[in-house]
Amino acid sequence: MARLAGLLVLLFLGLALFYPLGRILALGVGEGFARALANPYYWGRYLWSLEYGLLSALLTLSLALPLAFLFRRRFPLREAFLALSTLPFVLPTPVVALGFLALLGPRGFLGVDLYGTKALLLLAAVFYNLGLALRILLPVAVHLAEPMRAARVLGATPFRALLRVGLPLLLPALGSAGLLVFLYTFSAFGVPLLLGGPRYATLEVEVYTLLAYRLAFPEASALMLLEILTLGLAVLLYLRLRPYPLPPGGLGPGLSWAGTVGLAAFFLLFFAPLGALLLQAHPGALASAWASEDFTPLSLALGNSLRFTLLALLLAFPLGVAYAVAARGSRLMDLLGLFPLMVSPVAVGLGYLLAYPSLRGSLGLLLGAYALLAYPLLARALLPALKSLPPSLLWAARVLGATPLRAFLRVELPLVLPALTSGLALALAAILGEFGASLVLWRPEWTTLTLAIYERLGRPGEAPFREALALAFLLALLSALLFYLLDRGRGRWG
Amino acid sequence: MLRLLALLALLAFGFAQEITVLTHSSFSLDKGLIARFERETGLRLRFLKGGDAGETLNRAILTKGAPIADVIYGFDNTFLSRALEADILLPYRSPEVRNLKATLLLDPTFRALPVDYGWVSLNYDRAYFKERPLPKVPQDLARPEYARLLVVQNPATSSPGLAFLMATVARFGEDGYLDFWAKLRDGGVRVAKGWSEAYYTHFTLYKGDRPLVVSYTTSPAAEVYYSEGKYQEPPTGNLFPELAFFQVEFVGILKGTKNLEGARKVVDWLLSKPVQENIPTEMWMYPARRDAGLPEVFRFAPEPLGSVRMDPKAMAQHRERWIEEWTKVVLQGQSPEAVRKGRR
Repeated sequence: MARLAGLLVLLFLGLALFYPLGRILALGVGEGFARALANPYYWGRYLWSLEYGLLSALLTLSLALPLAFLFRRRFPLREAFLALSTLPFVLPTPVVALGFLALLGPRGFLGVDLYGTKALLLLAAVFYNLGLALRILLPVAVHLAEPMRAARVLGATPFRALLRVGLPLLLPALGSAGLLVFLYTFSAFGVPLLLGGPRYATLEVEVYTLLAYRLAFPEASALMLLEILTLGLAVLLYLRLRPYPLPPGGLGPGLSWAGTVGLAAFFLLFFAPLGALLLQAHPGALASAWASEDFTPLSLALGNSLRFTLLALLLAFPLGVAYAVAARGSRLMDLLGLFPLMVSPVAVGLGYLLAYPSLRGSLGLLLGAYALLAYPLLARALLPALKSLPPSLLWAARVLGATPLRAFLRVELPLVLPALTSGLALALAAILGEFGASLVLWRPEWTTLTLAIYERLGRPGEAPFREALALAFLLALLSALLFYLLDRGRGRWG
Repeated sequence: MLRLLALLALLAFGFAQEITVLTHSSFSLDKGLIARFERETGLRLRFLKGGDAGETLNRAILTKGAPIADVIYGFDNTFLSRALEADILLPYRSPEVRNLKATLLLDPTFRALPVDYGWVSLNYDRAYFKERPLPKVPQDLARPEYARLLVVQNPATSSPGLAFLMATVARFGEDGYLDFWAKLRDGGVRVAKGWSEAYYTHFTLYKGDRPLVVSYTTSPAAEVYYSEGKYQEPPTGNLFPELAFFQVEFVGILKGTKNLEGARKVVDWLLSKPVQENIPTEMWMYPARRDAGLPEVFRFAPEPLGSVRMDPKAMAQHRERWIEEWTKVVLQGQSPEAVRKGRR
């Protein structure tokens, strides 16, 4: 059964990923490739992408670590705060970019214009990834109390206990959180495209610019390869990290009243971009966007977004399950299946145009791209749950006469259902906010909410900007609502 | 059942009669004109804005074979060669061709027909320069006191930006243009992604901090036209006709259209007198027809004497290299000598 599942995933990967990417690389290998890599400008882009990824990871960790220690204590609304902190992670990129523009842009709420600065990009990266890092660090932080106490009892000073016991236990979690943040920021597209200006274009933005404006395939594919290699290295490191087994632990003593207020103030500040979005959004703009004549009407974009998300999930669901089942027993499958997280959605979209010219008008292309980018997220949530199932349960079912498929469906699946819905929620949020591949594969009748926002942002004047803000708010609400309905704040992923 | 089939047939028929026109984002025409065309031909027009002129053309190229539209309008002479080489257009010698200005017929194969033309040009804010001296010669722009006042568009992502870059190549030559740009860079020139960002965000007329902007010779007239009586005279003016760049915008029928007849009707319509006379006040370009009259407000938009006209072949041949070299010097901060040395 695992073999069958593996075969299915490999077949899909071959058609939806390796072949199209191969086509791009084939175009780029050769003279153009050498020319691109001899150009210091592109190395500059690469170095900036590295810097952006590393700085974001460091900043996020330095904020997430103290937060994790605060969150291991009891205080009112702790669960709600925790759920809120992960919300940005599932927000579509144009929404976050617009939120920051509404707060700190040229027409921003605070009157401070940080558009096109490093600071704004880093703020956006921290906003995006803080919840993710917190979710990874928190379980370790919670379990740290017991070993630290033991060290203290054995005579270590608090500093020594932290240095020799706390830190080594935390290190794998710090590493994996840092690597994930790096992974997401290094290959970021929407935020640098909308907030960075030409100076702070990441590799991913550069690839898009090279293709969409200049049709420079060789250079674009060289940069893409550079990106894949770097991300591949990060993923390898990530997979190598093994957490220490931790003793049981529980939440610590309650947080003081002042601490709780301070935390609440922090979250208020943290969500200021979304607040600015809300304050600048006019209900009238939503109405004027509904049947807009100048841009894609909201009704069409909303319908597309919902329809495509549903269809792509139907495709991503079996793929994610098959991949999780196959990856449970095989390291190679585990690595191969992670590949879609490493390649740029922009490149995927472009590869499709090159590899399947006869399918250019068909929706299958777009849905394939969505499913490809979403299924690893679903599987990542499912995999730990599958791995932690005691095999004896399955054996018992088999001994009692169930076929492998039946045993899976009736025994394993119900047990991992919570993890599955969490993964589904994550995949759903990813598809709903997908930007890069949609932008490349864009056809007018396929305009989604994300693209409808981008379309309005590119036009001069106050009215389109307002409509973009209103749409962004709607999309944020939709993502958050659907995510909450499926995940209910359980958050068994990451 | 029969009624259902009839309904389906009607629907299918209705869809077949829709004509999609892919345009750049600045496209605009009078709604009454569009409605009249739809009434008279029974066709339904859909306009699809694909972004900047170059970006729009690339969308058409990337979807070659399964075109997203029937007609493409708005690619200019700087991109003409790319459109022709990509082989995405069908030849059509419209009966209206004989009414067009002969100098605009740049494609002898009639795959790209001129619709309008104009000049990309430097605009300045009159109020800002009331008490201060204007730059006297184009070289002055490179002086720090003026470079800090100028906003240009990135030629890699904007067609006026590309046009202005080409004007500097024509003016300062292959050897000199990079030195000029290096001085602009050191002086603090600002680079915007596209025209609207430069004009509506950074130009002092719209509360920006740059009183010099790359725009069009017709922009001052447009400011008067849209001001609803606020301005009797343009609040902005044109600088340096020798840096103005001649631009022609084309229309073409996309290969793979399912409605060739309809597409041809749209091309004829764009070249017809009523549409041509509507173009100046909608898109602020000059009509390609010889017999089309200009609106009164165009007295504020005289044709620049001694403007730059560049050979389409030269543009086709060097466009990518110029953009690359510009990027290296202006965005990456390399020295012009190093970039010139890198040429083979």
